[in-house]
Amino acid sequence: MSTNSPANRGNEPEPIGRFLCASGLCKKYARGSLWQKDRSITAVRDVDFEIQHGKTLALVGASGSGKSTVARCVARLERPDSGQILIGGTDIAQLHPSELAPFRSRIQMVFQDPVTSMNPRFSAREVIEEPLIISEPTIIGRQSGQVGYTREDRRDLVRTLMAEVGLSPDWMDRSILHFSGGQRQRLALARALVLRPQLLVLDEAFSGLDLSTQAQIANLLLDLQEAHQLTYLLISHDLALVVHLADVIAVMSGGRIVEIGPTQQIILNPSEAATKKQLVSAKLATAKFAAAVGAQG
Amino acid sequence: MVDNSNKYLLQVHELKVTYFPANGDPVRALDGVSLDICSGEVVGILGESGCGKSTLASALLKMLPPQAKCEDGSILFRGRDLLSLPERDLRAIRGQEISLIPQDPALALNPVMTAGSQVSEVLRSHLPLNTQQRRQGVLDLLREVGFNEPQEIYSTYPHQLSGGQRQRIAIAQAVACRPALLIADEATSELDVSLQAEIVTLLSQIRRQHGTAILAISHDPVFFAGFADRMAVMYAGRIVEVASTDVIFGRPLHPYTQALVRIATSSVVTGAAKSARLPVIDGETPNPTSLPVGCRFEPRCCERMDVCSRRYPPEFMPAPLANVNCFKYGEHVD
Ligand SMILES: Nc1ncnc2c1ncn2[C@@H]1O[C@H](COP(=O)(O)OP(=O)(O)OP(=O)(O)O)[C@@H](O)[C@H]1O
Ligand code: SF4
Ligand SMILES: [Mg+2]
Repeated sequence: MSTNSPANRGNEPEPIGRFLCASGLCKKYARGSLWQKDRSITAVRDVDFEIQHGKTLALVGASGSGKSTVARCVARLERPDSGQILIGGTDIAQLHPSELAPFRSRIQMVFQDPVTSMNPRFSAREVIEEPLIISEPTIIGRQSGQVGYTREDRRDLVRTLMAEVGLSPDWMDRSILHFSGGQRQRLALARALVLRPQLLVLDEAFSGLDLSTQAQIANLLLDLQEAHQLTYLLISHDLALVVHLADVIAVMSGGRIVEIGPTQQIILNPSEAATKKQLVSAKLATAKFAAAVGAQG
Repeated sequence: MVDNSNKYLLQVHELKVTYFPANGDPVRALDGVSLDICSGEVVGILGESGCGKSTLASALLKMLPPQAKCEDGSILFRGRDLLSLPERDLRAIRGQEISLIPQDPALALNPVMTAGSQVSEVLRSHLPLNTQQRRQGVLDLLREVGFNEPQEIYSTYPHQLSGGQRQRIAIAQAVACRPALLIADEATSELDVSLQAEIVTLLSQIRRQHGTAILAISHDPVFFAGFADRMAVMYAGRIVEVASTDVIFGRPLHPYTQALVRIATSSVVTGAAKSARLPVIDGETPNPTSLPVGCRFEPRCCERMDVCSRRYPPEFMPAPLANVNCFKYGEHVD
């Protein structure tokens, strides 16, 4: 196995315990016309949560409840108006973009439609190695003491990653346009893994995928988490998948976290109306289905 | 011959549709699809991405994109073949007798028109009503699709509405002329789970109150539970099983249907713990430009036999009103 594989490329000790702690996060968006800049809407208010190393926190809640805004703040694609995001003792909430570089490689975000964020003229290999090329001189070099990757190193790494996410490495030079929806989501995961991140932020990364593909990707996420002790911040409106993947569920409503707790507790003993509403609808639909499946066998 | 044209609202027979992309090989998206729908019936089309569901929906409305061609088959609506009707007659049918609820209402709605005037527009183009009647008609429709304050909604713009509200506007447009057949192509896939349930309830209610037949399309089996009367399962451009929803969920026949139901069952919200892996179907759907000659599910099927890769399985009827294309259910005669 290549020494560049994401599993053993690192030189940091394996951390345990808390990976990330967000407290008092607030984010407003300007809204309204050019002439009424003062109107703003509060997308996220006073949000607190922790994610343990190697665990999965899922954010659920109605559309517009602020889930994606929290995710974008954690990945620092958005700068929170106030609040802290502690990662290993550093508060990244207000860091200047120039100071964020080392954290960018540790936190990677995977979106719903990965192709829209990829260059359509790229091959699978180019898509996967792009983050490496962009950030290599700054981060990898400094962190690992290595000067850089040779072209051959990068090919090896791409090969390893493709195999790891269940894509044939023989396809590395194919245009990404030849990949199916599920394969593109695997590509997006391989790309997200290339910088050997510790936290993956998955915002509706399952939406639009077929059921059987969703199941394959869900299993892959569990495999990757076990293999690399990855931490996940998961956003999905599919409660069944959330229950399957999450250790802790946080329920959002109107920009706040209204309930947070271990998956079992939230599912079996929800206390907040917002949680119950989500659960009841999910359970009604699936109860009818379960009844139909159970009725005759 | 018995005249079945009264019993059946829609009869699709051996429909074949091919896309001819500007650069690239032709893709046979529908390869001999047959399906009947009775008046007032809810029929579900279950199938995964790329199997041809949306092609079927647009073919039924004769709204295929220019590079697609209907190469064979017939679509009888109340006994008339839509494929040979002139465009003028089709325009009268579309929206009035057969209408579509789009997958993404955000794209289908006009951003610079109020919600009310977009529904009004549908009434205007099909029914002889005066302004006053039309306004009242729109308000009634808005109330019917679940808006308690129709006056207020009437004058809002699409961007001021949530996803669920936009979907309700699209439904109000689709049912405005009381069509006999409503086609709902992934009508809830973009919505969160509580909105999904509300939309399914709304559609069931429309069917009950107006006897509207619904062709509902989804990739998620759970969507059809308690909603569809019958289901057709599609795989790679063909229908592989048609049966009552009870049979599809309770005793599915085709190995593909069995696998889909197994995945859906294991991923329902039960409170089961994390870490167990979900059942999967190995491999992927075949490349539409190079389909297997035999059963299209053969490369992924755990029960394949020698014959499966040689010939496409004919239709067998192992149970009353259950049709399946699979060699498990019948002898292969050369
Ligand atoms: N760039 C933006 N400009 C203005 N308003 C925004 C912007 N992004 C989000 N919002 C608003 O902030 C609120 C929360 O948005 P967010 O996308 O975080 O919610 P969400 O829970 O992820 O919703 P969904 O499930 O629909 O994606 C919403 O009211 C939304 O309209
Ligand atoms: S025909 Fe053969 S390969 Fe196809 S589903 Fe049936 S058993 Fe499987
Ligand atoms: Mg969101």
